[in-house]
Amino acid sequence: MNLDDMRTHADDDIVDVVIVGTGAGGAPLLARLAERGLRVVALEAGPNLGPKGFTNDEVGAPRINWMSERLSGGDAPTAFGPNNSGWGVGGGTLHWGAFTPRPDIRDLNLFTESGVGADWPVDHAELIRYVAEVERTIGVSGPNPYPWDPDREYLDPPVDRNAAADLMAIGCDRLGIRATDAPAAILSRARDQAHHGHRHASRNLGTIHQGERFGTKATTANTYLPAAVAAGAEIRPDSMVHGIERDSLGRISAVVYRHDGREHRQRCATLVLAGGGIETPRLLLNTGLANSSGQVGRNFLAHGGVQVWGRFDEQQRAYRGYPSALISEDFVRPDGVDFAGGYLLQSLGVMPLTYATALVRGGGLWGDDLMEALDSWRYSAGIGINGECLPAEDNRLVLSDEVDEWGIPRAIVAFSPGQNERAIDEHATATMTRILEAAGALGTRVLARTAHTLGTCRMSADPSMGVVDGDGRSHDIPNLWISDNSTFPSSLTANPGLAQLALSLRTADRMLR
Amino acid sequence: MIGYDGTIYFLAGLGFGAAASAPLAHCLGERFHVVGIDLPGQGGASDAADGSVQTMADVALAAIEAEADGGPFLLVAHSMGGKVAALVAARLLSGSANVFGLAGAVLLAPSPPVPEPMDDDKRALMLAWLADGGLSEVDAREFVAQNVAEPLRESSEQDAVAQVRQTSPLSWKRWLTEGSTEDVSAVVGVLDLPVVVLAGEDDEDLGASAQPRLLAGVYPRARFVSLAETGHLLPYERPDEVAAEIERLWQTTVEASPQVPAEWGRLIASGRTGTEERGMLARRAIADDPHYAPRAISQAQLTTLRALADRLVPQPGMRRIDLAARVDGDLTAGRGDGWRPAELPDDISAYRIGLDAIASVWPHDAEQQDTLIRRIIAGEPVTDAPWDDDALSLWFEDVRNDLARAWLAHPASLARVGYDGFATSAEGVEPAGFVSLGAGLRDPWEPGDLGTPVTVSEADE
Ligand SMILES: Cc1cc2nc3c(=O)[nH]c(=O)nc-3n(C[C@H](O)[C@H](O)[C@H](O)COP(=O)(O)OP(=O)(O)OC[C@H]3O[C@@H](n4cnc5c(N)ncnc54)[C@H](O)[C@@H]3O)c2cc1C
Repeated sequence: MNLDDMRTHADDDIVDVVIVGTGAGGAPLLARLAERGLRVVALEAGPNLGPKGFTNDEVGAPRINWMSERLSGGDAPTAFGPNNSGWGVGGGTLHWGAFTPRPDIRDLNLFTESGVGADWPVDHAELIRYVAEVERTIGVSGPNPYPWDPDREYLDPPVDRNAAADLMAIGCDRLGIRATDAPAAILSRARDQAHHGHRHASRNLGTIHQGERFGTKATTANTYLPAAVAAGAEIRPDSMVHGIERDSLGRISAVVYRHDGREHRQRCATLVLAGGGIETPRLLLNTGLANSSGQVGRNFLAHGGVQVWGRFDEQQRAYRGYPSALISEDFVRPDGVDFAGGYLLQSLGVMPLTYATALVRGGGLWGDDLMEALDSWRYSAGIGINGECLPAEDNRLVLSDEVDEWGIPRAIVAFSPGQNERAIDEHATATMTRILEAAGALGTRVLARTAHTLGTCRMSADPSMGVVDGDGRSHDIPNLWISDNSTFPSSLTANPGLAQLALSLRTADRMLR
Repeated sequence: MIGYDGTIYFLAGLGFGAAASAPLAHCLGERFHVVGIDLPGQGGASDAADGSVQTMADVALAAIEAEADGGPFLLVAHSMGGKVAALVAARLLSGSANVFGLAGAVLLAPSPPVPEPMDDDKRALMLAWLADGGLSEVDAREFVAQNVAEPLRESSEQDAVAQVRQTSPLSWKRWLTEGSTEDVSAVVGVLDLPVVVLAGEDDEDLGASAQPRLLAGVYPRARFVSLAETGHLLPYERPDEVAAEIERLWQTTVEASPQVPAEWGRLIASGRTGTEERGMLARRAIADDPHYAPRAISQAQLTTLRALADRLVPQPGMRRIDLAARVDGDLTAGRGDGWRPAELPDDISAYRIGLDAIASVWPHDAEQQDTLIRRIIAGEPVTDAPWDDDALSLWFEDVRNDLARAWLAHPASLARVGYDGFATSAEGVEPAGFVSLGAGLRDPWEPGDLGTPVTVSEADE
């Protein structure tokens, strides 16, 4: 994005707020605070690429992913890199799938409902007001009426269905499962985005995870960040924060970051961490801050993401079109099950190398079986889930002895699915298999996967149970806030991006009180 | 159907033109479509706006674009044409021309990207020939004679002299005063391309003994061939030897690696595909170096990795991608995937340890190899690697994934599995993305094997 004429601040100015990260958690807040006249600076570790800097080539695309290594452990080691992390001005929204279901009230009250998991110290109705505001601002397309929430209204019609969506619709219809066009932060009608410029209507690109050049997909770099800069915010790309300084009262006084190979120190009155579910806890553990609860790094959550793929006679080539154009919320609370929570279904088309990796890692394929599966990719259509993940103390992030290129210890993230996650996986696998078979699949294949990096600095009403309160403010340090996926107490069945954008605005409003 | 295996684009040296490809075309026969290209001022072609090598490369690329069919081709370039070819190759490998299919180059006593070493007296004499406005018959004869080891046959000599006389005086002067002295080495960079450089032992500044010093850095994969009793005019003096080297290069590159179908090549070449993507696909399409020297792992470890690749990502037949070499290249460049199992050391160390461990138990027989692979994946104890068995199997998952991705990233593999999404990001092409999304259907611009074409109207804006 264009940063040429932005307002700038000197390192030793005490700016009102420094925000670390420009993704879903950092950007809306940056815009809101700037619009209210605060002097705000965002520090972003990655580059400012702009749409022309993206490539749809899967080998080249990781320039928008956090590629500095993370170490994964546990029974189901989490894949990072392109699978799980943002990098650059726009953060994770540069590569997100823009699938934007709204958070369900039952998920926010999971503990009250089921006795497991955690409740969110957040009022659902209030969150939804912010969600609706985000939807208007970034442009979310979707169907009216929405079968699971008749009161909701999408301002733009849904984007086109691709072949995978058509098949899932057929299968669901035959089984009496409700399914409809997915809400997506992809424009179905072109628009002029305030302070950014023209954004095209959907070009039916299956390459949106690689970065999208036409502005059809909402990112913070084509929505909130230009608005923030127009309101006087400063964004410093290529600026990796690795230290936090405090005054004699223990309040944050400055952040230390590396830019152009040199150390800089930006003084600030308030600090917001928005580095995401891995970088925020890593920074806090490394600086030893905000951890009187001992909860920093704990309760790492990864959504269940199991996929089932069916092979059909005709070429589906589901890399064409918006990859997840169909949704079903019928399994947010399935009947007659012995697990807590539930899952969303989405139709799936994926890129070839992503599919190959899923076949190898998630399907265990090699040799002739692998080659045959790759050859039948074009005849295949998938369905995937976004499944609830319950917090578990031992699914946690700790620091390793090995340091990264900035001299910070690398994160070790251990994740093992528990009984509840396995039960959801099993139920979902059976459901998706039935749908594909009903749609006429000649054969099906299950590919194991998890997605998203949540928890690790969770919000809690009780200061001993979490790192921040329900507003996002540190229980320990009053001028420290967190606005990113690390604050999620439970995973929700909805994908986290939309909820995160909304929470970001909400935290900003709390800061302004 | 085209009736030839591939195309040869021929760029001539100073004083010659497209017609200088005739002896070579004769030796190559029907198998290759030889396209001679007149650079500015050659063979009656008009002069360019300036004498820069870039401008000459523009002209060459325009001619190649006009003729290109999406299939594989070699650049064959003589002397001055060699300097132009270096720029042409660099542009093709960066994707900045609407062409796809470059497989390699055969360079004949080429002028290097750096200022050409040329004797001052010689340059002065050649400029003096222009004194009466153009090259006389006598001067042309002298020029030809100076550049051959043995006199050419009468008919060849007549041909050669006629071409020299056809050369425009301006282009002659420009090469001597501008083009030959230009330094384009920074633009050309290092070209990781299969290349054969032929040069005569009786040539002077651009002869066999000078070439390795001039070009080994530009073309690290170059093979240098010196020709005895040969001067500078290889296209006339040694067409048989040149043809043999072309055939040999073709055999070890195009015929030894998977090929992108011409229809797909045309799509990659087209304006639908972005420049950067075209460049990446062009570079990946280049055949691997049979003499690849690994940098992250040892030669022995590379051998083990190749053996593993044969089982994990089988490529039956003679056309192969050296997946192990490509993985070594990624390891060397530090192109990881952003994470690794906590039990494992960094990628390079893990590969070294893991490959050594597997080599110590690697059976000869393919079936036993598969059994071993199954046991590793299952986490059974199979080696005395310093890791526990789970760690070995986690590392092995990385190996399987790296090899599979290296295979699929090749444009011939993408064509094989039916992926043309690379052609949806170019500017100024509308509709840029896909219009028909249904099963069994394709947009008109998509390759024919992808479904039934649907005619589309304009996109909505
Ligand atoms: C492949 C993939 C697909 C997804 N698809 C969807 C989807 O379809 N729908 C959905 O709702 N969600 C989706 N998500 C999730 C969504 O992208 C995230 O929920 C969201 O981006 C998280 O926001 P965040 O602010 O926590 O982190 P991010 O958006 O990742 O932003 C963090 C930013 O902080 C920067 N940063 C980190 N540490 C530092 C530091 N120390 N100094 C300076 N800068 C730093 C990073 O470079 C990054 O830019 C997807 C995620 C992935 C990986």
